[in-house]
Amino acid sequence: MIADKIKLEMIKTMTRLNIPDTDYMYSGHVGCPGCGATIAMRFALKAMGEKTMVVIPACCWGVIAGPYPQSSLKVPILQTAFATAGATASGLRAALDMKGDSETTVMAWAGDGGTFDIGIQALSGAAERNEDFVYVCYDNEAYMNTGVQRSSATPFGTRTTTTPGKGWKKSRKKNIVEILAAHRIPYAATASIAYPEDMIQKFDKARRMKGGTRFLHVFATCPTGWRIPSEMSVKIARLAVQSNVFPLYEVKDGVDYTINIKGNRPVTDYLKVQGRFKHLTDEDFEQIQNMVNEDWDLLLRKTPPSPKD
Amino acid sequence: MEPGSKHDEKISLFISRSNISTEINKTGTWRFVRPKYHEKTAPCSAACPAGEDIARIEMLSNQGRYQDAVETILLENPFPAVCGRVCFHPCETACNRAGFDDPVAIHALERFLGDIAMKDDLTLKLKKFPVNGKTVGIVGAGPSGLAAGYFLSQLGYSCDIYEARSEPGGILRWGIPRYRLPDDVVTSEIERIKKTGVKIICNTPMTQNFLQDVKGRYHAIFIGCGHGRSLKMNIPGETMAFDGLEFLSRLREGQAVSSNGTAAVIGGGNTAIDVARSLVRLGWTTTLVYRRRRKQDMPAFKDEVEMADKEGIRIIDLYSPLEINEDNGEYVLSLQRMKTSSMETDRGQARVIPDGQMTHHLRVQKIIVAIGAEPSSPWQLPSPKNVDTLYLSHCTFTDSEPPLLFGGDLTNTVKSVADAVASGKQAAMALDIFFKQGKHAITDRLNSCLVGNGPAHSMECYAGGKRSARNSHIVSHEDINFDYFSQTFRVESKPIIIDKRMNSFDEIETTFTINQAMEETRRCFNCGICNACDNCRIFCPEIAVILKGSERKINLDYCKGCGICVFECPRSAMDLEEEL
Amino acid sequence: MKQVLEGSHAVSEAVRLAKVQVMSAYPITPQTHIVEALSEYCADGTMNARFLCVESEHSAMAAVIGASSAGVRTFTATSSQGLALMHELLHWTSAARLPVVMAEVNRALAPGWNIWMDQTDSLAQRDTGWIQFYCEDGQEVLDTTLQAYCLAESVNLPVMVVLDAFFLSHTFEPVDIPDQELVDRFLPPFSPRIALSTSDPFAMGQMAPPNVYMEMRHDIQKAMEQVPDIFAKVEEEFTEIFGRTYGMVEKVFCDDARVIMVVTGTAASTCRKVVSDLRSQGEKVGMLKLKMFRPFPTNLIREHLGHVQKIAVIDRNFSFGASGIFAQEIRAALHNNHNHPPVFGYITGLGGRDVTPEILSEIYWKTKNSTAPKDESVWVGLVDG
Repeated sequence: MIADKIKLEMIKTMTRLNIPDTDYMYSGHVGCPGCGATIAMRFALKAMGEKTMVVIPACCWGVIAGPYPQSSLKVPILQTAFATAGATASGLRAALDMKGDSETTVMAWAGDGGTFDIGIQALSGAAERNEDFVYVCYDNEAYMNTGVQRSSATPFGTRTTTTPGKGWKKSRKKNIVEILAAHRIPYAATASIAYPEDMIQKFDKARRMKGGTRFLHVFATCPTGWRIPSEMSVKIARLAVQSNVFPLYEVKDGVDYTINIKGNRPVTDYLKVQGRFKHLTDEDFEQIQNMVNEDWDLLLRKTPPSPKD
Repeated sequence: MEPGSKHDEKISLFISRSNISTEINKTGTWRFVRPKYHEKTAPCSAACPAGEDIARIEMLSNQGRYQDAVETILLENPFPAVCGRVCFHPCETACNRAGFDDPVAIHALERFLGDIAMKDDLTLKLKKFPVNGKTVGIVGAGPSGLAAGYFLSQLGYSCDIYEARSEPGGILRWGIPRYRLPDDVVTSEIERIKKTGVKIICNTPMTQNFLQDVKGRYHAIFIGCGHGRSLKMNIPGETMAFDGLEFLSRLREGQAVSSNGTAAVIGGGNTAIDVARSLVRLGWTTTLVYRRRRKQDMPAFKDEVEMADKEGIRIIDLYSPLEINEDNGEYVLSLQRMKTSSMETDRGQARVIPDGQMTHHLRVQKIIVAIGAEPSSPWQLPSPKNVDTLYLSHCTFTDSEPPLLFGGDLTNTVKSVADAVASGKQAAMALDIFFKQGKHAITDRLNSCLVGNGPAHSMECYAGGKRSARNSHIVSHEDINFDYFSQTFRVESKPIIIDKRMNSFDEIETTFTINQAMEETRRCFNCGICNACDNCRIFCPEIAVILKGSERKINLDYCKGCGICVFECPRSAMDLEEEL
Repeated sequence: MKQVLEGSHAVSEAVRLAKVQVMSAYPITPQTHIVEALSEYCADGTMNARFLCVESEHSAMAAVIGASSAGVRTFTATSSQGLALMHELLHWTSAARLPVVMAEVNRALAPGWNIWMDQTDSLAQRDTGWIQFYCEDGQEVLDTTLQAYCLAESVNLPVMVVLDAFFLSHTFEPVDIPDQELVDRFLPPFSPRIALSTSDPFAMGQMAPPNVYMEMRHDIQKAMEQVPDIFAKVEEEFTEIFGRTYGMVEKVFCDDARVIMVVTGTAASTCRKVVSDLRSQGEKVGMLKLKMFRPFPTNLIREHLGHVQKIAVIDRNFSFGASGIFAQEIRAALHNNHNHPPVFGYITGLGGRDVTPEILSEIYWKTKNSTAPKDESVWVGLVDG
């Protein structure tokens, strides 16, 4: 009978997003409601698995990891000083190698401050040495843990507590992936909490690429710091990709570019729904659109044309 | 200290090292709003006259749960294979996907499911109310009478259906041509109805005497005998024209005349189109004359008109027949050219008036008239407005001895099979409410079973099924999160090419294959119902959406009320409500 | 086996013998010879270890913290600016209770750039919770480095082995390099009390709220208080196997001395000669070499210095706005003592300035001939103008 022929696998087609089911994070952590960084960690660990050691410098996750005597993760955590994620992870990896442990992956998990600013030296040093670890920067585009001060990851146009009022940030966001690509590490990529399958696939790829530095720049919405309602956390992240503000792409060995998604929405779709941008005028929006277009063109020029272009 | 014991265990090591799970923090206390699963009404189901739970049907199909899908249809409509061929599918017009790319091919999918039910002879387990000992007499084994019998049977009543013709089906068998609705499909679905215990007595035309007799034997009577008498044009020479309904009936009986002559059909409704398309299959070169208004105003289903065009029927509009004359064995149809005026009818349509004195003549070998029908006997008409009669959307209910109901084409504004089914259902419900609670309760109770804002009712709701928990808010375009869907082509089954069609009365469309059905049901947004896509569970930052069996539940110990689950639900199956 | 070794290489030999597993360092004169030798040992396979050439001293200490957290034996070395840059992480290592051993070459701090001997760099880190040992010669450096691992791994506190820039680091002396089997007997493979593991996961360095932080700090102090006893045991074992001993302090001619000169590092060698000469002239002088500075050996100081008339402390360092640091600490140790003789503080030999026998002699005579100290610290050897 026709009905009999339908196997249970068919039911799987209904789950739109194909995501591994096991979680390595506990409920009860103190992340803000709607915290993108916690969604990011959740997805990351689904790909990384239990043989992971997470190195966390000072950042929101330093608190979310759980105050003594708790831990919000099922894998080992090594918290470390602000500037040191790249270095501490290097040392940890060396020790594991000396102990003959080739299964455990060392994953540095740092915020934008600990990656773009105070942590860039150690990260660059580690990347130059092609240290064998996965470095993840979850980017909420400011020093959120200390109260929303600007970092070099804060985009042009943003109001923060140290770029307030008329002093809104007039310098562009650093392009960290390009910086890392310039080190010719085996793998550098962006990922977004709004694209779980893509993100998990990239983390899994990074995990399996042992032997060198793998860098992932993850877009992690901060409803608290960006002045948006918590329920829009994932939506905003999606808008960032759809408007090419945060393109999803990968770079292999620093030279091989692949763009994963081409967005086609205007930046205003993304900017106008966030409180941190509500002071911007139409001219500012135009300027930002031009900047985004410019960066996008630059990225396109680095990418080989695909057959359907 | 001996060599080897290099640390003194007396040295305490109280450092910031922890491994107690954060699960001891019940962060649910942070909440001031909470999410909940709250299914809503899909626009397709609200537009369906039979109120089928379409979103759910497509979901079940996509999961390969065909038995469940068919049963879900049968809860509201006993004719999936029929409707899947002849329904005018208002569901597709209402489909939220229409504004995104193309509406879901609900019509074709219903056909697919109906055919599976027939082919696989699925033993369907539909819950029935216990037999209550009451009997209902039904006049007319057309779609409304059959539906009435079916639903009343579900509700525990014993039903006898009296049919004038030799076989049941009404317009399904005697009106709609085979190339639209094959015989075996009609028979199969009627068999299913008979299996519920309904008795059909054929060759029993309804006369007034018979009606008197029957009234004494039943607890209620439902009359759904349709419009048996064709309308007349009242022009000279009309007797030289054939009656459309009669033509179709004879065609079904096998009395068709092939020819490569020319024919004219007068009319603009489905019957006229059916006649014209049948004629071309018999070889006739056919012209259809629509007299009332412009072609786009024709009351026939748009698909049908399109098909007629494709099949080579010439359609001329704004020509009104004046007279028919015979000449040398052929007929000459004189036509008055018409034009639209600026004046409007009561219904807001443009009035049509004669355009000058020009007459055109059409010389044909056959003329068939199909301009509408009416009940064949006066007493078939529902009672004029009086206080004892409830005028419901698809039937009338008169509190007489015994209660008397009229339905189907006799009462419906839109004369379709789906509306006929709605009639049967509404009548069945009205009767049941009457017997259990009294006439005063009918309106309110019926309103409580509306799908969306009506006019369709749901038998599942009436019987207290899960669907009654559903919110009547109709999911609109704005409620759908389009981020989760990409534009795709609608699956179309390949119809038989025009040339092959013209000599046969075989079906034109084919039924979807399983792969096609899978592909197309995947396009359905499943508006308002949970299809286990798991977005809520995937995105929750607190891991507070848990799977309990096949259902999702919010773990209120940890849910902080961020609302991401509700926002990322692509189909509005969740709500946020205030925390008390 | 005795070899003529540069002080730097006394360190690297000890590290090799200790079978250290992960090292990380950033080059800074005069530490470079240490790390170069270790890099070579890693490259040619003499050592089965990883050497991470990081991009700053801050990262060097971070890398070592990372490695030590996984439970392997670690080492780093630095000096002056590098040590200052590491400051944040020195606090981190001790509070994380990681048994790291570091060689610190005492060098002056900039500006102006000065690569020569000065103790201010290591003493400025006296609050960071590291155990500190000041070494006099190459042999002591090698021996102390080995002992440092034993001690660190017993109490879970990091140890800093300090040696003078150039005067020790780049001076060649005969040094007995012990056999590996003897060292293995003294220092078995590391059995860590702290080691991150995926099979028994826990988090390290979590937020410590007010209700627990003080207790954690107190725990460090309790460990520090046990160091003298444990070190004594370590030395006992060391002496048994290798025949050498140093003590936390060393007394020379102290029993009947009226003036005792307190001295550290290579200046102690010079002082031995000066004190010997003064003794032959009939002066009742003695010398106390201070080896362990943290934890501060208060009891020993009170015991050995409490009964004398005067104490002269030689500081090749200075805490601006206060006084020489050794002098400060000795004053503090003696203050609550029943006997607290006057402490004469002398600042000399900063930034590589030589501490000659003449200067030490001058310091003795100044002390003997003064009734009380003129200032908290008297600067000796300044060139006027």
